[in-house]
Amino acid sequence: MSTKKECVALLLAGGQGTRLGVLTQKVAKPAVPFGGKYRIIDFTLSNTINSDIDTIGVLTQYQPFELNQYIGNGQPWDLDRLDGGAFVLPPYVTAKSGEWYKGTANAIYQNIDFVDRYDADYVLILSGDHIYKMDYNKMLQAHKQKGADCTIAVLEVPLSEASRFGILNTDADGKIYEFEEKPKNPKSTKASMGIYIFNWKKLKEYLIADEANKNSSNDFGKNIIPNMLNANEKMYTYDFEGYWKDVGTIYSLWEANMDLLDGESGLGLDDSRWKIYSRNEAEPPHYVGTRATISNAIVSEGCEVDGKIINSIISRGSRVEAGAEIYDSILMPNTVVKKGTVIRHSIVGWNAKIGENVQIGTDQSKVKEKEIAVVGPFKNIKDKSVIKAGEMV
Amino acid sequence: MVNKKMMAILFASGTDNKLSELTIHRTAASLPFCGRYRLIDFILSSLVNSGVNRVGIITKNNYQSLMDHIRMGRDWDLNRKNSGIAVFPPFVLNTARDMYRGKIEALYTVLDYIEKSPEDYVVISDCNIVANIDFNKVLDEHIAREANVTILCHSNYATTSKRMMVSCNSEGLVTDLNFAEMPTAEKKIVSTNIYVVTKKYLIEEIEKAYSRALFDFEKDILFQSYKDGKIFVHQLEGFTAIIDDIKNYFNENMKILEEPIREQLFDVTRKVYTKVKDSVPTLYGPKSEVVNSLVADGCVIEGRVENSILFRNVHIAKGASVKNCIVMESGQVLEGSRLSYIITDKEVVITEGRELAGFKTYPLVIAKNKTV
Repeated sequence: MSTKKECVALLLAGGQGTRLGVLTQKVAKPAVPFGGKYRIIDFTLSNTINSDIDTIGVLTQYQPFELNQYIGNGQPWDLDRLDGGAFVLPPYVTAKSGEWYKGTANAIYQNIDFVDRYDADYVLILSGDHIYKMDYNKMLQAHKQKGADCTIAVLEVPLSEASRFGILNTDADGKIYEFEEKPKNPKSTKASMGIYIFNWKKLKEYLIADEANKNSSNDFGKNIIPNMLNANEKMYTYDFEGYWKDVGTIYSLWEANMDLLDGESGLGLDDSRWKIYSRNEAEPPHYVGTRATISNAIVSEGCEVDGKIINSIISRGSRVEAGAEIYDSILMPNTVVKKGTVIRHSIVGWNAKIGENVQIGTDQSKVKEKEIAVVGPFKNIKDKSVIKAGEMV
Repeated sequence: MVNKKMMAILFASGTDNKLSELTIHRTAASLPFCGRYRLIDFILSSLVNSGVNRVGIITKNNYQSLMDHIRMGRDWDLNRKNSGIAVFPPFVLNTARDMYRGKIEALYTVLDYIEKSPEDYVVISDCNIVANIDFNKVLDEHIAREANVTILCHSNYATTSKRMMVSCNSEGLVTDLNFAEMPTAEKKIVSTNIYVVTKKYLIEEIEKAYSRALFDFEKDILFQSYKDGKIFVHQLEGFTAIIDDIKNYFNENMKILEEPIREQLFDVTRKVYTKVKDSVPTLYGPKSEVVNSLVADGCVIEGRVENSILFRNVHIAKGASVKNCIVMESGQVLEGSRLSYIITDKEVVITEGRELAGFKTYPLVIAKNKTV
């Protein structure tokens, strides 16, 4: 028997992430690089340990190898613990059955034993594809104070955008009376962030009941939350203030990266009291050559930059030759861009090699939702190629 | 049976150096170098990349900063169950109140540790060497020559620092050893103070020398026994720097701005490891101008940087200019200040509108935590 843990975190990292196209062909979405030296999952893992929660299960199923290797024993996040720590939990075969995670609720259902092992009072359910900094411990305190069965973190969104989110309608005290998934006429602007705290005993009952229902889609948003509401369980919202972004699409991934260049965006990555940790690749400082121009940009370790970098993110180990120009773009780790090439409003996947005199992306100054060009990881782009706005190769 | 494995004993502080202000708060081993490293990182990484995973570090003065850097050795993958890092305090024996005098005494205090280790060869090294060394190559040669000691050397000019000069024949057999402290016009074969030694020989020699109250490893052992024909030279080919005064600290740092030297030192298959600090990537402001410089993570650059090395979390404010400088961790150069040929130690603040200049042959050092 392990030591009792008050709260155990479970991170849902099993989604296929099809909207990220070539970027998630070989890796799970949470393992996609972000912000020069991070992976998307670093934010939730770092939030967890910074919130004094030291036991986290990462539920994966598609392309888990990269993520497995990346998380390893959890050491970069200080999650290598004698008792507790980080665990990668893929679906497994039991004596009675064995199957893929059918939905978010089923994924937790299949790991009931994991939570029980720590005799947890509360479970924190997280998504692996959000960029934000949040103290889950404060949310847990609020949950306990209200004596809630379930607390859902919410973000104020503009009314005009509310119909893109799961919206929670509450009374003045924050008690939820209705949940509407992507409502046409939203009644409130409190959007669910996909972050839940449950009393474990209560959730377990609902998970077991939901599993027994053959017609259920075994999903938190579609089944568990509505069922609990119908049964009049005590469910509250927890107001989150600060930067939060779902990076599930190419455009939002690009936008969230660009937000790092904007001191006003509110993420505040550089905060020594709330560090975002990542697995380190042991690379030397980056070198800026004699012909380089760098303006409003992020450059990480191991890069060699001799070209022109404007409003862009150059991730670790990348090489931009003299005469190459990068505007409003993201180079993921270990990319090479040769001379004469111009890249605008694009995402270049990790380990891609871009030849000489290549043109990538739109030359408009503003870019629309579908206009980001994407070069897949490990792609070789031949000299003089042209990749248009919105194209994905 | 002889195994082909090495352990290592490192001396965290050289016997004498002229690093003055830079080593008031630290040993030479923990002197920051090249943007994010400490000097000891280079020898530790070379050892680990050569499969050496039992490393004893003998400390002397000011070793708190070193302990903080090394911790359990995890960043070098040296937190092993059956080997890994061992840090030894500088006191000779339990009964002694004094620190060791010379390497023989120091080695004598850890003789038990050396003897009980299963490896049959010992790498003995100082920690002020910047190089990326494949010790397996050296060991193969050592074994083929049936050597007792292999001295790792590089070809360099003598300086005013005390260095061991080595003469050898075409087979690499040492024919003469002497110390020099005079600059020379031509390049010589200079010892890097790194040795690969056959363990059996080392234990015998240390016991013999200690019982005769000798304590200088070079003078009392090597100088006496090279005539037996068992001491050889291994010439290091790649970039190799010994850091022992301010001037060469500055010059050797600046050499890393040259691409071929960077490629040698940071060979992608033989990485250089250091303590991980989880800094954010560096942010360049809209008006930044950076030319021919190395920049570590965590910096915010809004001004001008030329031919310089910036360590982690350095801030160069708008209108500030830094040329031919080394700015160590968390340094701040505020608006309108201009620096040239300056080395600022950690956490130095240059307030607004200051102008400071050293000279190429005499870079100025601003001590740790100072505000100008």
